[in-house]
Amino acid sequence: MTLHAWLSAILVQALVSATPLTLAGLGELTAERGGVINVGIEGMMLLGAITAFAVGMTGNPYLALAAAPLAGMALGLVFALATVVGRVDQIVCGMAINLLAVGISGTAWVALQNHDLTALPDAAAFHRLWGQQYGLTYVVAGLCVAWWWALHRSRAGIIVRALGESAEACAANGIAVRRWRVSLVLLGGACAGTAGAFLSIMDIQGFEPGMTGGRGFLVLALVIFGRWRVEGLVAGSLFFGALDSLQVHFQGLGFDRYLPYQAFQMLPYVAALCALAVLSRSAPGPGQLGRPYPARH
Amino acid sequence: MLSLEGIAKAFGATQALDDVSFTLERGSIHGLLGENGAGKTTVMRILFGLERPDRGVIRIAGTAVRITSARQARALGIGMVHQHFALVPSLSVAENLVLALGAGLAGGRQAALQARIANLGAELGWPIDLRARVGDLAVGQQQRLEILKALLGGGQVLILDEPTAPLTPLEAADLFRVVKVLASRGTAVVFISHKLAEVEAVCDRLTILRRGRVVMSGPLAGMTRGRITELMIGAAVVAPVRGAARPPGAVLLDLEQVSVADRQRRERVHRVALQVRAGEIVGIAGVDGNGQTELVRAILGQAPASGTIAIEGVASGAAHGATRERLGVIPEDRQQDGLALALSLTENLLMKARNQAPFSSCGWRHRARWQAQAQALIADYDIRASGPEQPAVSLSGGNQQKVVIARELSPQPLVVVAVNPTRGLDLGATASVMHRLLAARARGAAVLLVHSDLDELMQVADRILVMSSGHLSDSTWPACTREHIGALMLGEQPAVAGTGTGVGAQRP
Amino acid sequence: MSARALRSIAVTLGAALLGIIGVLAGLWCAGYPPATVVPTWLAAAAGNELHLAGSLQQAGPLLCAGLATAVAFRANALNIGVEGQYLLGAITYVGIGVHVGHAPGVVMIPLLLLLAMASGAGWALIAFVLERTRSVPIVLSTILLNFIAVALVSYLIEGPLHDPVTSAPQTEQLAPGLRLPVLIAGTTLHVGVLVIAALAVVLWVAQSRTVFGYELAVVGANERVARLTGIRVERVRGLAMAISGALAGLGGALQQAGVTHYMSDGSVSYGYAGIAVALLGQLHPLGVAAAALYFGMLDSGSAGLERHLDIPHDVGDILKGVVTLVVLIAAVVQWRRRPWSGP
Repeated sequence: MTLHAWLSAILVQALVSATPLTLAGLGELTAERGGVINVGIEGMMLLGAITAFAVGMTGNPYLALAAAPLAGMALGLVFALATVVGRVDQIVCGMAINLLAVGISGTAWVALQNHDLTALPDAAAFHRLWGQQYGLTYVVAGLCVAWWWALHRSRAGIIVRALGESAEACAANGIAVRRWRVSLVLLGGACAGTAGAFLSIMDIQGFEPGMTGGRGFLVLALVIFGRWRVEGLVAGSLFFGALDSLQVHFQGLGFDRYLPYQAFQMLPYVAALCALAVLSRSAPGPGQLGRPYPARH
Repeated sequence: MLSLEGIAKAFGATQALDDVSFTLERGSIHGLLGENGAGKTTVMRILFGLERPDRGVIRIAGTAVRITSARQARALGIGMVHQHFALVPSLSVAENLVLALGAGLAGGRQAALQARIANLGAELGWPIDLRARVGDLAVGQQQRLEILKALLGGGQVLILDEPTAPLTPLEAADLFRVVKVLASRGTAVVFISHKLAEVEAVCDRLTILRRGRVVMSGPLAGMTRGRITELMIGAAVVAPVRGAARPPGAVLLDLEQVSVADRQRRERVHRVALQVRAGEIVGIAGVDGNGQTELVRAILGQAPASGTIAIEGVASGAAHGATRERLGVIPEDRQQDGLALALSLTENLLMKARNQAPFSSCGWRHRARWQAQAQALIADYDIRASGPEQPAVSLSGGNQQKVVIARELSPQPLVVVAVNPTRGLDLGATASVMHRLLAARARGAAVLLVHSDLDELMQVADRILVMSSGHLSDSTWPACTREHIGALMLGEQPAVAGTGTGVGAQRP
Repeated sequence: MSARALRSIAVTLGAALLGIIGVLAGLWCAGYPPATVVPTWLAAAAGNELHLAGSLQQAGPLLCAGLATAVAFRANALNIGVEGQYLLGAITYVGIGVHVGHAPGVVMIPLLLLLAMASGAGWALIAFVLERTRSVPIVLSTILLNFIAVALVSYLIEGPLHDPVTSAPQTEQLAPGLRLPVLIAGTTLHVGVLVIAALAVVLWVAQSRTVFGYELAVVGANERVARLTGIRVERVRGLAMAISGALAGLGGALQQAGVTHYMSDGSVSYGYAGIAVALLGQLHPLGVAAAALYFGMLDSGSAGLERHLDIPHDVGDILKGVVTLVVLIAAVVQWRRRPWSGP
């Protein structure tokens, strides 16, 4: 392979791999800025993936794409009610959501298999457009810009940032703290669900139990070392996209002569761990992150 | 102009307000007095739309109105400045205004907003920088911002909830000036406080609440302090008696040239010298935020400090750490630092004694003895609870504080450090806390009392030092006036004695 | 028994019951009335000695993983890494076991188990050290370490430990001397399950009767107060993580020694299920034991449902997720809460 072809292949795949991370990341970043940490993104992505896949059997790709965020939001609603309204511990609840999603998607997959619906019909798959990218990638890029503007320049963005720093001050100003936080979680769920759909009906075009492979957790790490900023998230996603891309092109690039493929499998997680080790110290995050409102005592 | 008639509000089983009625006149400064829990804040929250009354009517200029939200209250010209500012420190002034007032940042409205705030500020002698980060502003400036925000609705009614709590005496005087200016322009100002002196200084009308009921409402003229106190408190409470000054014992807490930096590496305590002897209560007065917190953290070993800190004569090393564990500490925030709320009273009470015989041996707990000890402490310290297994979270604030005190003072420590120990407590609980501190003093402990309530401090302290901008100065108390201490709090008079050793009073 | 304890039990039972009712309702809508489902399930879970033994055996690793999770959670160290620590314990046992040939089991088995515990503890301590020195949240680091562990174990299975006799990705089998004896002939119920049950009792005693157990509870309830009263918070949390990892590793090793005897790419870890077990058991060792038994019977039962009624066994997973959520929500009602601790 020529250097040019090699670089181009890596770059294309990097963008493809980065897209779901960025998309889910935008949602999570917003929720965390607002004070809610959702470790259940992994589950929401998985549910979005299976939903898009299942609806894709109808042959209508847009319907599939529309269904995924709804699935994410459904889980998000459960999570939001438990943590924001019920003030249950957010991290533990998030893990419960993951368990739930694994169970639901597993059952659904078996049901699909029983009906021989294991391959996505051609009509339901999205195709790559300019620059070998899916349309959704461009949408996400545009979203990043819009998101940045909204977070820093719009009233909604000010409220979100305020919610994460001082929920009491927001309440004193007449802002419905819990309603806003529930909305943010729903938004995060929609983003995560759509990110899952990207995996099942665009990138990989198929479904397997556990296909999200820890991306949801990577997103959590990305938000942290992106310092809860959109720019940081994009940079981090591209970096991890590149790492993932190396894994995909593993054999094509001849790495298999030197290293077992598992080395590349674990590379993103090792990289995330190292990045967290280097950067966590100086990244305190929104002051209210994880704290329920109103405070429990 | 604005009248409340028959307002009642219950929270669960507690009747917070019962048939509360009074009127606010235009241009009057109306003091709302009462102890903690009397209902002052609740009735004002109802007026400001943050709570809805169960019964009763609010009338403005004779017409009944229903105030269902803060926004609506603002539209009616009612503004409120809360005790805990409704500001987000990490955002700018402009962003905080957007947060509060819902104006879009579309150019036109923003400019109008800025102009109004600037004008108001100028009229009152308070310049405001819209781009400044609120967290960087001094507390007094933040409060000014809150007041300006509250006035934007038209300024018919301005409610100030305990406004002088975070201010220095000079800032408080400025606040009174502005309040009088506002009143002269027709605003009805409601001044919520539990401090008699302030209410007397600035108010012309008065309403006193006790246990949710109005016990008096009318002009301030003619009311004596004694009468007001009686109405506020009801049954007379025995004020703690300090007793004669005792001959100074050994120095048990000794700080020399101690400087402490906060988490942002800014030096908050500058070369402080402090000595507390056995059998005395040394008070540290000062507005919150002048370095007291950092000083206490250094004494407790929670923050690194330069200089020497000696406890019971031990200055550094492993022995120092062990001696430090014997300190009796009553932290400022009993819920965050004083108690494990999810655990039972027994588990909280025995925390310091957990490794001592007879409560445990070789790492094994003797549970029956834990229970017995807990019961003894509960009885001894008059902790109102259903039993030693009750989770600490379900106790009232006063009883929670008693648990902390029981745990910390029952081992009879030689050195006690208490920070704002009566915060949030009513008069009865406050008296109980002060009694315990005096008892510790009587048996020879060295007590360091960091307290922002000057009156309470004056009741129990043998000496009062003042912390201002990280410098500690001696006030020569009891040989000086309250005003002198206030001036020191502002840092106005340079430290005369310079050190807090209390040896040889000097005239300022 | 105190009112608090009674309420805890009520919450656990209530949640378990609610979960079952919910899933039964769901199955009914899908065409499987409870009248058919329940007897089949009960029979498969505990119908006869064989099935009951199967349920108990299933409960074994779940209990170990649950205890591991519970110990750490009690100290407010959110060890989500039991999944990976379990696998490392398993591969340690098998990996070293297949190399020691036919050494005497009496000596080797305990030694190998100890090594497995050490692996698990070590893996958990990586996360602890990272948090201590670099402020990396344990929640995240343990999750990431899970994925790294999975890849690591996969490499070992397909590489150095690969069984040369076969092309399937699996290790050699353990020699009979290194396998745990079975309690009831014809079943898979092995001695290891007894060991785990005994461990639950030991942990219970330690939790309620030792000063360390008390300190663990205080650290988990309010770290600041613990520090102020002289408790060595970091040491307590470090020990909690080490014990947690050790228990996880032990669980993995015992499962190998008692049931599977070799590892393959399909080897299952019970880490995530352990979280559900721990939460359902309200982090109390006896509660976790009951919860593990409940989930063990669920697993056996749903295998039966699959065999006889063609209901996918993932339904059991849904049930676990639902039950976990119900427990969490009920915990709010019960005042039991984890203190907030921001990043």
